[in-house]
Amino acid sequence: MNKNVTAPAILLAAALLAACGGSSSPTATVNVATTPGTLSVNPPFRIASLDAAALQAALSATAAGAQLLALTDNPVCGVDFYYLKFMTLGGAGEMTQSSGALMVPTGAAPTCSGPRPIVEYAHGPWTNQAANIANITDPSNTEGALLAAMFAAQGYIVVAPNYAGYDISTLGYHPFLDAKQQSGEMMDILAAARTALPNTFTPATSDNGKLFLTGYSEGGHVAMATLRALEAAGDKVTAAAPMSGPYALEAFGDTVFYGGVDLGSTVFAPLFANSYQHAYSNINNDPAGPIFSSTYPNAETQLPSTTPIDTIFAENLLPMAALFDSATPTQAEYPMVPPPLIAAMAVPPIDPSVPVTAVWNAGFGNPYLINNNYRVGYVLDAAQDPDGAVPAPQPGVPLAKVKPTQGLRQDFYVNDLRNGNWSPTVPTLMCGGSLDPTVYFSVNTGTMAAFWQPLVTAGLVTVLDVDPQPPLKPAGSFILIQEGFQASQLALFKFYQTAAGGGLSAAAAQQMIVEGYHVAVSPFCTLAARSFFSLF
Amino acid sequence: MKNLKINALPMAAAASIALICISAARADDVPKNSLRFGSYTVFYHTSADDISGPYVPPGVNLEAQNVETAYFGYIRRLSSKFDVELALGYPPLAKVKGAGPATVGSVPYNGVVVSGARWIAPTVFLEYRFLSENSPWQPFVGVGVNYTTFYDRDTTAAGNAAFGGPTRLSLTASVGPAATAGVGYQVSGRWHVYGSYSIAQVKSDLTANTAGIERTTHISYGPQVLIVSVGYSF
Repeated sequence: MNKNVTAPAILLAAALLAACGGSSSPTATVNVATTPGTLSVNPPFRIASLDAAALQAALSATAAGAQLLALTDNPVCGVDFYYLKFMTLGGAGEMTQSSGALMVPTGAAPTCSGPRPIVEYAHGPWTNQAANIANITDPSNTEGALLAAMFAAQGYIVVAPNYAGYDISTLGYHPFLDAKQQSGEMMDILAAARTALPNTFTPATSDNGKLFLTGYSEGGHVAMATLRALEAAGDKVTAAAPMSGPYALEAFGDTVFYGGVDLGSTVFAPLFANSYQHAYSNINNDPAGPIFSSTYPNAETQLPSTTPIDTIFAENLLPMAALFDSATPTQAEYPMVPPPLIAAMAVPPIDPSVPVTAVWNAGFGNPYLINNNYRVGYVLDAAQDPDGAVPAPQPGVPLAKVKPTQGLRQDFYVNDLRNGNWSPTVPTLMCGGSLDPTVYFSVNTGTMAAFWQPLVTAGLVTVLDVDPQPPLKPAGSFILIQEGFQASQLALFKFYQTAAGGGLSAAAAQQMIVEGYHVAVSPFCTLAARSFFSLF
Repeated sequence: MKNLKINALPMAAAASIALICISAARADDVPKNSLRFGSYTVFYHTSADDISGPYVPPGVNLEAQNVETAYFGYIRRLSSKFDVELALGYPPLAKVKGAGPATVGSVPYNGVVVSGARWIAPTVFLEYRFLSENSPWQPFVGVGVNYTTFYDRDTTAAGNAAFGGPTRLSLTASVGPAATAGVGYQVSGRWHVYGSYSIAQVKSDLTANTAGIERTTHISYGPQVLIVSVGYSF
């Protein structure tokens, strides 16, 4: 009898035990809501956790990191690097997911835990579609390292988007210098970060209510647009420090189309075109014909890309420097264009005493990116309805009197941060370098400062040129930063002429300085921003 | 031709089982069933690929900790020489330690218990006894099949810290060959004591999901099992 019962009983017991299987500890909660600002994964993934000593050791391991540490001081706090995924809207108002970083200070020092201020940072233009500012394990993530060392390791909570179009984003394009989209995305990641903060490994580290906005280059524009948007929404901002941004887009665009081609323009132009075509649908149906030459038929969708930018240039998918045709428009070709405009569009000659003229000159060639027909259409619009800052500054440096009719110029007008006559109501530092060949300082920072001058109370807006040119000299509360920048540039100039630096001639070394200038200004302005924020 | 090869093995097995059953029918006076209870000690000889996936530094690996649990088995006598055994262990909590770098970032890793899982690993052996049924000593060897499935897979707080957040683990079930060798001794009447040492092939694919970030590895546990038990035949 027993033998008939026991065997099935044991097998049944085994089966019941097996039926217990399948359970597992929970992972993060996935929020499928599509409302902008929704944190998609909570708690967010922590990519890395570095204590202060490990962060210092990691930075010290490279020459660039060691130079950065010399500027930022040694880390006081460790930093936890979280990877945020959140919902936002694209340039055409389409729902999309984006990603970014939340850097949380850690450690026993009093400034590393408890209620802490937030620095929200907007990065510069990336060509690498796969870049992720939260990924501190990526050696190429220099901007993430800068943020960690400059802010998070000194006790600031840092929030920084990758921007739609990058990393995990499936948007398919980047809403480049689209003030509405990018400020919206900044507000969305801020909301997501505030949702995430109580669920990190250090939940006692919280938002103390102080919010500082900053960003560099494209991010300077984004930071300023975000300040405008947050103020419009009635949200509190403590202070802002947009840096080296193309704030006065219409004036900047006019400068470039007249012939002052900036360094990097062949990268920026495709980004502009793709962004504005999606947002306003007015790039590809221009009466003057296609914007891009037939040599580069896919220019508009070329960036951002997972293909390295050097490869894109090498494979002739984009020109390295030639934005415009070196055979500039002639009177015979364009009889309706006034002779002074034809002359204004000529290739700028190189003046050795003015290094940026070499950049302008290099902006012309063949093959070239933008067709002459398109350029002429833009310049005609600019001449008929001129910007108040370009070509000749007018009192108050206003925008064009009426909304431009040429598509791209219209988009610049819309996204120019003078639009709407807004001015900041919180302390604002605008930092940059006066010789910047990529984002012209006077055309952008200078124009905004002049535009705001009658609109803001005295002392509310501070302009810092880290590289004052004679007869100006380093002076004022940022004198050490100015002196530091100029000393570093001089040291670099000398280094390039040594064997270790390549043994370049003085002229070639100067060219290297020009090409690296925009990037070189960044850490010094960021240091100025931190110094500025510490006042509040 | 190919089909003939495939079919030959089950046919031979069926023939063997038929012979065994005929032999068993001639020894009805010997108890046909046994139950055994005892201790079940698992010595892992883990080898795993380094964990791969996003944000994993090189050299991050895992190592299973040895476990001890209760053993119970059911043995069915097939003939004077052959038994079939279903061996089970009370599902133990098998802990897994980090192996590789001392820290991941600044988070301790090497030697830290990062996860645990319970497993059920029923193993069926066909065993051959060397001596006659009347001998008090019963040395035996066996071969069989092990099935292992995992449940209650949890990461520890230290594991979550190393992996970057609350982590869900999944481990695929394993089916592999097993072998055993041991000896039984008749203490009195129907009571015996047994000792055996077994090996099995247990391989599993591990996927760790942390906030949607998946990292994977392939683990070969290489378990070797020492069983000391008491058996009762009926």
